Amino acid sequence: MTDLPTTAGELDPELRSALRRHILTLADSKRVLGIRYSDWLLGSPSIETGIAASSMAQDEWGHARLLYAMLKDLGEDPVHVEQERAVELWASVDALDEPVPDWGALVGIMVAVDGALSVALEGFAGGRYDPARSRVPKMLAEEEFHRDLGLAWFRRLGSGSAEAAAHLSRAVTGLLPRTLAWLAPEDRPYTLLAEAGIVPAGTDLLARYRERWGAALEGAGVDVHGTHPERSAWDEDRSRGPGHPGLEAVERARGDRNRALFVE
Amino acid sequence: MEEIVYDVFARKNRGEPLHHVGYLDALDDELARVYAWKTYDEENWFEMCVVRRSHIIPVNLAEGPFAGGRRASSAREAREIPAGQPYGGES
Repeated sequence: MTDLPTTAGELDPELRSALRRHILTLADSKRVLGIRYSDWLLGSPSIETGIAASSMAQDEWGHARLLYAMLKDLGEDPVHVEQERAVELWASVDALDEPVPDWGALVGIMVAVDGALSVALEGFAGGRYDPARSRVPKMLAEEEFHRDLGLAWFRRLGSGSAEAAAHLSRAVTGLLPRTLAWLAPEDRPYTLLAEAGIVPAGTDLLARYRERWGAALEGAGVDVHGTHPERSAWDEDRSRGPGHPGLEAVERARGDRNRALFVE
Repeated sequence: MEEIVYDVFARKNRGEPLHHVGYLDALDDELARVYAWKTYDEENWFEMCVVRRSHIIPVNLAEGPFAGGRRASSAREAREIPAGQPYGGES
């Protein structure tokens, strides 16, 4: 294996397919996360928090657009992928499948899921795939404020009332096993990418995740070191567990309603 | 949970003075930083700072938004602010 940057044209078909899957699950997760943030433009604890949620939604959609565009290098039409895929083909991280029921759960997602996305993107940016090395660092810079907001709220809720802390802990504990599995797939496509130096080994990503977020999560009573990835019924085609995001979210993510308003 | 009023100051370029660009409400300093950056993101700021309004010490005006924190923090201190406009300025 060499450390030199590589492009899509240099990859064999199986590796290209694995890379496509990796980009797609990152892009879909960003797009659906943006939908989940956007649900809290209204109804979050303050106007300022709503503005922050709005800004994060825009960031996530922008990142998703950049990631989808990377599929062009693999010979795939990003417009089709973004706008026409059936809901069953969406590859976003499991924790985003359902609407977020309350603010505490959204704070948990900001840290545990958005945090996992950042760790995955860092790994991708540090690998050999040249488009990721050039395009992902700006996303990571924008993610710094997501991290700050998430951690500030996480600490506040975690150190608040026993009820708030318990709620936060339950929310994160419930989504963590599948999120860890998404972050570190133990299957052939991911192994091929890691062996090619395009992504880090899954164990490295898990270690980074636990180092980065462990203190905050454990401060809220989440045993991040004792939680193991849940890989039952793993869907190798989509790099996630069974199920998919709800149709309503995918319709919004695809922009179905926006296009219905177009006048030819 | 009680929110605190913060004032936001920013400048676009090195060497420029900081300008007051607005205010926000936040639960603590950490959240104020994030809210400020996301709320007042219409420019590509070189520097942005937030300050608790209650930490601003009014100099020449006994009334107005920036005197509020001072008054709230201590009625005795508020009484010590001289009436009128001792350092000039509009009445």
